[in-house]
Amino acid sequence: MQQTYSIPKSIKKDSAFTFCPGCDHGIAIKLVAQVLDELNLRENTIAVASSGCSVFLYNFLDVDCIESPHGRACAVATGIKRANAAQGKDKFVFTYQGDGDFASIGLGESMHTALRGEKITAICINNTNYGMTGGQMGPTTVMGQVTATSPTGRNSEYHGFPIKTAEHIALCDGTSFSARVALYDIKNILNAKKVIKKAFENQTKGIGFNFVEILSSCPTNWRLTPSEAHEKIKNELSLIYPLGIFKDIDKVEKE
Amino acid sequence: MSERELIKGNIAIAKSALDCGCSCYFGYPITPQTEIGEYLSYEMPKRKLAYVCAESEIGAINMALGAASTGAKVMVSSSSCAVSLMQEVISYACSDELPFVLVSVMRAGPGQGYIYASQGDYNQSVTGGGNGDYHTIVLAPSNVAECYEMTQRAFYLSQKYRNPVIILSDGMLGQMAEAIEPVKNSFPEIDNSSWILSGAKNRCSRNIHSLEPNQDKLNEHILKLKRKYDLIEAVEVLYEEYLCDDADVILTTFGSMGRVAKAVCNYYREKGIKMGSFRPKTLFPFPKDKLAELSKKTRLFIDIEMNTGQMLKDVKLSVQDGTEVKFIGKPVGDWLRLEEITEKVDLILKESYAANV
Repeated sequence: MQQTYSIPKSIKKDSAFTFCPGCDHGIAIKLVAQVLDELNLRENTIAVASSGCSVFLYNFLDVDCIESPHGRACAVATGIKRANAAQGKDKFVFTYQGDGDFASIGLGESMHTALRGEKITAICINNTNYGMTGGQMGPTTVMGQVTATSPTGRNSEYHGFPIKTAEHIALCDGTSFSARVALYDIKNILNAKKVIKKAFENQTKGIGFNFVEILSSCPTNWRLTPSEAHEKIKNELSLIYPLGIFKDIDKVEKE
Repeated sequence: MSERELIKGNIAIAKSALDCGCSCYFGYPITPQTEIGEYLSYEMPKRKLAYVCAESEIGAINMALGAASTGAKVMVSSSSCAVSLMQEVISYACSDELPFVLVSVMRAGPGQGYIYASQGDYNQSVTGGGNGDYHTIVLAPSNVAECYEMTQRAFYLSQKYRNPVIILSDGMLGQMAEAIEPVKNSFPEIDNSSWILSGAKNRCSRNIHSLEPNQDKLNEHILKLKRKYDLIEAVEVLYEEYLCDDADVILTTFGSMGRVAKAVCNYYREKGIKMGSFRPKTLFPFPKDKLAELSKKTRLFIDIEMNTGQMLKDVKLSVQDGTEVKFIGKPVGDWLRLEEITEKVDLILKESYAANV
């Protein structure tokens, strides 16, 4: 009988996902692992996990991995990439962060890494709240959204506005690729994999900074069932955070 | 034999780092340490080494954390209020057991203070501002030759113990030029192949993290670090003694103040008063056993610092019960001069000398 599916080699054999039921982290990590396998990158990869739910990356991915202080994954990745380059080595380096990590506490590091055109890839899981601490308002919490710290809903006068991360990163001159994807159905999952692959391949070509924002469900903190959470992404969040590729260039202009 | 060179303390540190194989520097400008970054921004790209003008001290120290995980020799430099911004990663690096060298060229504080010379960051370096049970190794040079030598030692110790090492310099030393003979590293290279992140090829994947949800494992980890610090305290203590053997009075200082202390000793020796000077070169590990031993014979110590008394408490904790420990200090500004010190020492001697000799 022909084998039609196997667990990616880049996933640890003895690991079981510990994310909440219906959380999209599992799908995102599996896609990353599949792409690492397909591009034959596993043995040359150093991953950077950060604080929040994304920190557990190293429990699941079978690659060398370092945990970064909260928000600083892109700076840590810069150090890894540059230190290897100084030794004449080209390692594949990517970060795996949440939206609070990448776009709130770490926005300075993230943006400057993009501006420097560091030849790394950053994956940002956007679930519109701080998941691990119990669903507080984050930089991507949408207007009106009720969270543990915006009990009457996000209000622009009181809380200010959410950030459209992928669009902002696309504006940086050092960015070669910036996109937003979702994982709410098969079609989108397959597309997300294609986009992650492009963001990984770009790095191997040494073009510039590559970024993928993934709209992800957080059923536990959204107080929804897994399928309701996916409906919410499809019908509400992907209208506020449009899916698509915002920048895709073959080379970063040098001056 | 190397040629003698007239260089500033800051440049001696930068030069020494390159001479012993530092391949990564990450920095952000702040006076009075900026020459280190400026010198390296010129020298490192020529050699295809990693030099990044970071967006902030937080960016710089996190880049250092990442670079250290690859096994590279990594240095960052900064000063006082900006070293405050780096405390988080110092704590992470201690837990992760990642080596790098942090050069801290003190200016006056608290807050922004100003660029005047000061020694106000003894506590920041030795007891730290980061969270958790950790120690950094702290080396305190007193002259430009020591800036050069201690940088080599700092890289060696950081690699040997897989721990951050702080070189605690100050604005005066950083800006002062002296003729030195740079003698290259005689410390052995440390094999780091068992732990660095290089890609999981022909081996299991490796993880470097400080997060540990299992409390037994976290306990074990902290106790393992404690045993390492105990070992460092047992074998890496360095100090300089000057005329301590027969001393009735011993001056304790660190860093640049050690230079003045020797002049003070000479002044009183000429007057027939047996004075010695004791200067820890390692602030952690602190030479507490040596001070305890000295205090068996010498019953009067005078601690002199450009602050309000930070090393003072470690001196007091080290000496034997009943030893008199006096303090002379000035928080900021023109360095304490010989006459300013002798004026105060005269008063102390008048009060305490007879009682202690």
